[in-house]
Amino acid sequence: MGSVPIFGIAAVQRRRQVKLHNRSESLVDPFALAHYLYAQDNKIKPPIGGQYMTNKLSRRGFLNLAGAFGGSTTVYRAALALGLLPAIAHAERPELGTLKKPKKVLVLGAGISGLTAAYELSRKGYDVQVLEASFRAGGRNMTVRNGDRIDETGFPQVCNFDKDPDLYFNCGPARIPGHHKALLNYCKELGVELAPFINDNRLAWVQDDAMFGGKPVRAREYMTDSRGFVAELMSKSLAPEQFAAPMTKDDYDRLREYLKYLGSLDPSFKYLGSSNAGLAVHDYTNPDVLKKPLDGRELLKSRFMAIMSFGETDDQAAMMMEPVGGMDRVPAGFLRKIGHLVQLESQVQSIKVLTKGVEVTYRRNGEYIRVKADYVLNCIPMQLLAGIENNFPKEFVAGLTAIPRGKLFKIGFQMKERFWEKEGIYGGISWTLQDIQQLWYPAHGINRQKGVMLGAYTFDPNAGEKFARLAPADRFKLAIAQGEKIHPGYGSYVESGVSVAWHQMNHMLGCAAQWDEELWKKWFKTLQTPQGSHYLMGDQVSYHPGWQEGAMASAHHAIADIDARERAAGAVAT
Amino acid sequence: MKRRNALSAGIALAFVVGSASAGNDFDYCLLCHGANANGNYGIRAPKISGVEPWYLARQLENFAIGARGTPAEDAPGHEMGPVGMRLKAEGTLDAAVKFIGKLDSKRPAPTVTGDVAHGKKLYENCVSCHGAKGEGNATLNSPALAARSDWYLVTQLVNYQKGLRGADERDTYGAQMRAIVATLPDEKAISDVVAYINTLK
Repeated sequence: MGSVPIFGIAAVQRRRQVKLHNRSESLVDPFALAHYLYAQDNKIKPPIGGQYMTNKLSRRGFLNLAGAFGGSTTVYRAALALGLLPAIAHAERPELGTLKKPKKVLVLGAGISGLTAAYELSRKGYDVQVLEASFRAGGRNMTVRNGDRIDETGFPQVCNFDKDPDLYFNCGPARIPGHHKALLNYCKELGVELAPFINDNRLAWVQDDAMFGGKPVRAREYMTDSRGFVAELMSKSLAPEQFAAPMTKDDYDRLREYLKYLGSLDPSFKYLGSSNAGLAVHDYTNPDVLKKPLDGRELLKSRFMAIMSFGETDDQAAMMMEPVGGMDRVPAGFLRKIGHLVQLESQVQSIKVLTKGVEVTYRRNGEYIRVKADYVLNCIPMQLLAGIENNFPKEFVAGLTAIPRGKLFKIGFQMKERFWEKEGIYGGISWTLQDIQQLWYPAHGINRQKGVMLGAYTFDPNAGEKFARLAPADRFKLAIAQGEKIHPGYGSYVESGVSVAWHQMNHMLGCAAQWDEELWKKWFKTLQTPQGSHYLMGDQVSYHPGWQEGAMASAHHAIADIDARERAAGAVAT
Repeated sequence: MKRRNALSAGIALAFVVGSASAGNDFDYCLLCHGANANGNYGIRAPKISGVEPWYLARQLENFAIGARGTPAEDAPGHEMGPVGMRLKAEGTLDAAVKFIGKLDSKRPAPTVTGDVAHGKKLYENCVSCHGAKGEGNATLNSPALAARSDWYLVTQLVNYQKGLRGADERDTYGAQMRAIVATLPDEKAISDVVAYINTLK
């Protein structure tokens, strides 16, 4: 699942609409605006005094502007250099000591963090039991295939895709970047085969009702032409004397040179089109013909600029991976090792932290069952934990309800034909500023007859709620109507669909916890610190919510703490 | 090493401490409404245990037919909507109400503060229907107000004011309530009256 805080498009879009209308449409303003929006998206502090456009730009100010338009990495690094973003220590997979005598550990929830902790502890002499409320393990790591149940509280569904190894849909996480070391190591260790995942496809479409009358353009065309437009504009309008800090002629020339390459400008610093936007025709028996550049001002009307660098962000840039056969191969790998420790359909009703250990009561087949353990690793989503009887300190309980829950929504469609491949699209994402926001094309099963594609993935909680309150058939209708704007005839390919409204899913009622800087500062330590022998876990207690790597980091953090306690008590064999 | 049956042996001792229904069928009610359906502010799901069965049934019906919980601004309401539809479609609405009725209802801790004396004065408009002790009156179709999730009372009063509840013509009792809510001019009045209701036993 995408990390929402990084691309908090939802809230930002609302702010953005206001800002767009408040600002004059001078030629230079869009830069300032782009930077302003970018900075807001990424929680970068504004330049001192909040001035985005002044007659005199500092050198850094300028580079920030260029970075905001050209890609995220420049600005991100600059922000780090300025100490604007916290450096995050990497939690390594801990080396646990083996216990001399077993200790009882109760893990609440068989999602990624719970399975990780159970796997590690059970190998080191801990007596582990995992209680899972749902009929299935895996948590939000959920892949559906023919016949699978989608356990939504109000609208339970069954997946009616054809029975076929390529026809599956990853309802939760769907991609793994190369630096998610913990997850990748477990994949290797558990025999989870990986394949490349296509996250960024410049041949995919960009569609926004605000530009070109809603007609889609290829992503590469949007990106190349808008960069060309902006680079030309900047190279024309910038003069060395505009910079507050002294700038030598060499500096200035290098800057212009940079702009030339950034925007594919010609030797006279004009943008006349570029093959980066795709050739007009790919007729290799004749000279190349460039496409006529799209109208720059029209391109800037689209808020797509805020998503344009998606495929360059830390977690989303190539090379990405996916498990062969579905993301749930990850929990399946864990379950091969520790499946016997997991008890399903056991819904926790009460947690009591004792002077020594923790007491948990859960419901199973209508019965209330009470168990005691030396440690409890609690992966229950905070929003649900708040409704469970407990004796946590007041401050801790306040934290549980302080973090808003994620409301991501996804649709998967089985298509009778892989029509997108006829458009030259093999994997990747088309973006639209409509509710559905994204269309994903499968990277597996290329050239086969049928495929399951993603027909909606909303980052905006309002869009998530809008879909969630519709019955599945109406969700599909809405998603198809919006998809038609990108692929005419889209609906005629749909054979069956699945929809997942995470904030209405049984045993979840939300996904990636919606932390922000303020909430992190105020609540994170409170929620991460164990209450006696009770640890709150999961991606919700990480600085990377919405990612399996965050869930694993939180598990590693908790079990490392337990290990330290056991070592201190002399309970670990040397 | 032979793996022991973890629950019976591995994890200390497991005790069966009670039984409330014949299965997990309605456990998903507790998911939102919390353990024993005593409410969960975390997802804005009110306490429903201890609530009159006739009132629960009516509200479920309202949710099922879309007479309640449909406005987009009422996010918690439209999360409940599909559940009402499901229970009605499955014909299990009454069974769900029965299930809730068997749960162990606890008086929730107060969370709303306000001017109790002022609230008491305002509550005079509520007495004829909801009773001097907030005990409710079935013949008047008025539910009890005492020992409910106080934050939920606030939300609903605001919803009535905004027309997010009681505006659908099929919700006749809601429409009555909506008219009465005019006696609570602002949010302060609402928290004052709820603060007073918190004192009712």
